[in-house]
Amino acid sequence: MVSTPVGVRKGAWTEEEDNLLRKCIDKYGEGKWHQVPLRAGLNRCRKSCRLRWLNYLRPNIKRGDFTPDEDDLIMRLHKLLGNRWSLISGRLPGRTANDVKNHWNSHLQKKVLAREEGRSKSQKTTILKPRPRTFKRIAPFSCRDKTTYEPNISITDQNSDNPSASSSKQVDDECTQWWSNLLDSVEIDGETEPGSNGISLELQEEDNGWNDFSLDMDILKLLSSENKRIN
Amino acid sequence: MENSTQESHLRSENCVTYDSPYPIYAMAVSSTTSAAARRRSIAVGSFIEDFHNRVDILSFDDETNSIKPVPSLSFEHPYPPTKLMFHPAPTSAANLLASSGDYLRLWDLRDTSIEPICTLNNSKTSEYCAPLTSFDWNEVEPRRIGTSSIDTTCTIWDIEKGAVETQLIAHDKEVYDIAWGEAGVFASVSADGSVRIFDLRDKEHSTIIYESPQPDTPLLRLAWNKQDLRYMATILMDSNKVVILDIRSPTIPVAELDRHQASVNAISWAPQSCRHICSAGDDAQALLWELPTVAGPNGIDPMSMYSAGAEINQLQWSSAQPDWIAIAFSKKLQMLKV
Repeated sequence: MVSTPVGVRKGAWTEEEDNLLRKCIDKYGEGKWHQVPLRAGLNRCRKSCRLRWLNYLRPNIKRGDFTPDEDDLIMRLHKLLGNRWSLISGRLPGRTANDVKNHWNSHLQKKVLAREEGRSKSQKTTILKPRPRTFKRIAPFSCRDKTTYEPNISITDQNSDNPSASSSKQVDDECTQWWSNLLDSVEIDGETEPGSNGISLELQEEDNGWNDFSLDMDILKLLSSENKRIN
Repeated sequence: MENSTQESHLRSENCVTYDSPYPIYAMAVSSTTSAAARRRSIAVGSFIEDFHNRVDILSFDDETNSIKPVPSLSFEHPYPPTKLMFHPAPTSAANLLASSGDYLRLWDLRDTSIEPICTLNNSKTSEYCAPLTSFDWNEVEPRRIGTSSIDTTCTIWDIEKGAVETQLIAHDKEVYDIAWGEAGVFASVSADGSVRIFDLRDKEHSTIIYESPQPDTPLLRLAWNKQDLRYMATILMDSNKVVILDIRSPTIPVAELDRHQASVNAISWAPQSCRHICSAGDDAQALLWELPTVAGPNGIDPMSMYSAGAEINQLQWSSAQPDWIAIAFSKKLQMLKV
């Protein structure tokens, strides 16, 4: 394990150090960075020398603020490439990856966030998918002929407080309730039941494997409570 | 209105024709009851298979029995408009026309010109918007327009805000027509062959009240009887039948009117009577039906019949003009007196 030499300077580069480094690179060229601190007479780590040269002392680095064109390009490239600064700076002549990264983090990132939020707020429309209910095709005389309907509903709830005589009319009542609920502002004055509109017991959810006329316990209770409210 | 049950032909002086330079499909009759009561505006949309289409406003004068175009009130429309509709309760300040096609557009009808008001666009990426097959303007709540689209959704717009009120995935396939029943209830028909009713108070559920007997036969048009909200009429694709539905007895049609000899293209309930309906189709006939309380054994016969020169593509029966039915076939528009 190589021990780091004691006394290597860290922190900001002074002007004299910059000059020494420049002279060294002018004389010997870039590359062989492990020899640069020795040749330049610098008390700096070789990595530090290299980075200082590449990010700051190189002659073709553009100083000054980023132009709006550059900003636009950076935003587009970041959207496309993400945090790959070396790739982004490859498209920006005269700007180092480090510069681009710092500029992004300090200035551009909040702009982009603000734009995204604004965009999502103004166009937030949630699309709902209503689940369809179908009416099972009941016996042909169902909803019109109330007197002769055969009660073939099998009620699975033993504790139902509906007397069995009214079960024969349940199917008709449900159809009536459904469409009367639907048009309640036209047909019936008053009672709007927001939760129960469209709910009718003979309706089946499409992917439910219900038997033809068997009713669930909870639904029966709902019907009986509905009956009490409407009638 | 004639009450005979025999078929009878309408006399030719009760028929006014307008020749258009291009084939027409979309049609709307204005519902203004303003001072210009003698003259009615009719909007016709062209059906040219091209990006450039036109909408013309015609003026119908029933005293002189003439239909004249108003040249200053004509505008370009991208792609053929699939439906045109005037504002159901216009005031003198706001006489609006809505058109659907690639987007829902609103136009302001002034005396000398038509200005576009806005294009209502719901897509977030704004690159592609699913074309609208039809729309309906809610008569009870005129700020609501419901549109149906081939992306299986129906969108309810609040046109005063210019924003979407709700968007629902209505069907499993393309939605072909939409009709309002009352302020918050609408029904739609689709290529999946079902008529579904939606209630904006309960957006979690919809109700299928009819499905075409052969599965996946598309239902093309829907008309909800505004005089008697229990009845709806719908037509199947490539079928000569008009199916009348009663929402009190779902899945079972009340009547099937099958006297057309070719597929039916358009249906319209009578605006002033709850028992009459008119239908028109590819057999070039417009039939007027009266729905009896008890159906006869052989089905229902039409009350009266009119033969046009070509397949009739569009039919409009406006409540502002209950005596006249507007039909469109090839490049002509005809007003038929009932």
